[in-house]
Amino acid sequence: MIHITIHDKACRGCQLCLDICPTNVFTFDAAAAKATVAHEEDCIGCLSCSYLCPSGAFRHEEHRIVKNFYRDCEFLSRMEKFL
Amino acid sequence: MAHTHTSKTDPVTINTEWLSDCSGCHVAIVDMHEKLLNVLETVQILHCPVLTDIKDYPKAKIGLVSGAIRTEHDRHAAEEMRKSCDVIIAWGTCAVYGGIAGAGIVHTQEEIFDTVYGNNKTTITHAAPSAEISPFEQVVTPIDEVIGVDLYLPGCPPHPAFVFDALLTLLEGRAPKATKETVCARCTRTMKRTGVTKIKKNFDGVPERDVCFLSQGYICLGSVTLDRCMSPCPANGTMCTGCAGATMQILTEPNRDIRTEVADRMSRMTSINRDEIISEIEYSAKSHYSYTMAAKMIGKKPTFLINKWIANTEAEYE
Ligand code: SF4
Ligand code: SF4
Ligand code: SF4
Ligand code: SF4
Ligand code: SF4
Repeated sequence: MIHITIHDKACRGCQLCLDICPTNVFTFDAAAAKATVAHEEDCIGCLSCSYLCPSGAFRHEEHRIVKNFYRDCEFLSRMEKFL
Repeated sequence: MAHTHTSKTDPVTINTEWLSDCSGCHVAIVDMHEKLLNVLETVQILHCPVLTDIKDYPKAKIGLVSGAIRTEHDRHAAEEMRKSCDVIIAWGTCAVYGGIAGAGIVHTQEEIFDTVYGNNKTTITHAAPSAEISPFEQVVTPIDEVIGVDLYLPGCPPHPAFVFDALLTLLEGRAPKATKETVCARCTRTMKRTGVTKIKKNFDGVPERDVCFLSQGYICLGSVTLDRCMSPCPANGTMCTGCAGATMQILTEPNRDIRTEVADRMSRMTSINRDEIISEIEYSAKSHYSYTMAAKMIGKKPTFLINKWIANTEAEYE
């Protein structure tokens, strides 16, 4: 099963992940102004939340990686060299 | 990539060099004062323009190169660093993406010389210096198009914590970890939905302290910028201008861009139309893209139409 973690401190409370998720995986903790993972089992691994999140706060594990149609291969080869 | 290991008898040798840059990356390290001494216990700094008087390039394990290649001297110095060091780290945004000097790609060498020397309103001399100045190259080049680079550390300057972590990564033989979090991740402002309908200029009004700039109608590049700085700007009341360069998703995917990603988020946080935000960023593209436009990943994106945007902006002035 896909496992999702949100880096709590990084979450800015924008709720964009709630807007974009097609399967309503998230709820919003209004008191803390943070998103929380409520229905992890419903995640289809589309990564829309991850792309839209302003902070890069998501980590998905055990999801199937689908290659994007367009990628800058030259840069991709450098990515692992970023400190 | 060669990994290096430290031992008491054999301190790790480091060369640093600056090419065309503002010297800020070097100064950020010197600015650590006595904390620098702790680091000096494990490393031996050889060639370093701000700390030592060694003019040649002794053999060293690690080479930190800041700045972009703008002159023939820069090219020569970069090549010497490559020859003398086992591991080269592109240090700072100038070295990784071209940085501030990289914005020079939107003008010809003649235009730049004319503005800086020929018709400069604040000096009385009107000729470019001819003696003891290294000849300019036609364009600004990030260093990895000229020499092999082993590791990249963007940031303008990168916070010293990241520099020392980078050194430890090498000394301890760890693999580098590219964190994907952005400036927003360390910003403490809260993103709120507001009914704001107009884009504000940086100098319009006084922004609220705890609310995200995007929610308030100000363009902030925090969400499209890699955090290598600890997010000082939003903490001190000013918008992020993206000086550490774009996030990995923008750099790797030609269909993603600084302006569209900011517009996607900002239009959802406010009542401002997405296209209006995109136009606003294009209108001041020279600022919003200045740090990274000399790098192919940004400058050669099919959607990056800087010359067209500049022409549109200039047409509006006339
Ligand atoms: S998109 Fe990111 S920052 Fe926004 S609420 Fe979700 S986790 Fe938090
Ligand atoms: S990956 Fe897709 S389905 Fe899973 S939580 Fe994110 S937006 Fe929802
Ligand atoms: S990256 Fe920034 S701080 Fe470093 S030399 Fe370039 S302009 Fe200066
Ligand atoms: S967009 Fe700017 S103000 Fe808003 S959370 Fe990100 S860094 Fe902070
Ligand atoms: S402009 Fe943005 S990336 Fe640069 S130091 Fe400020 S917060 Fe960091």
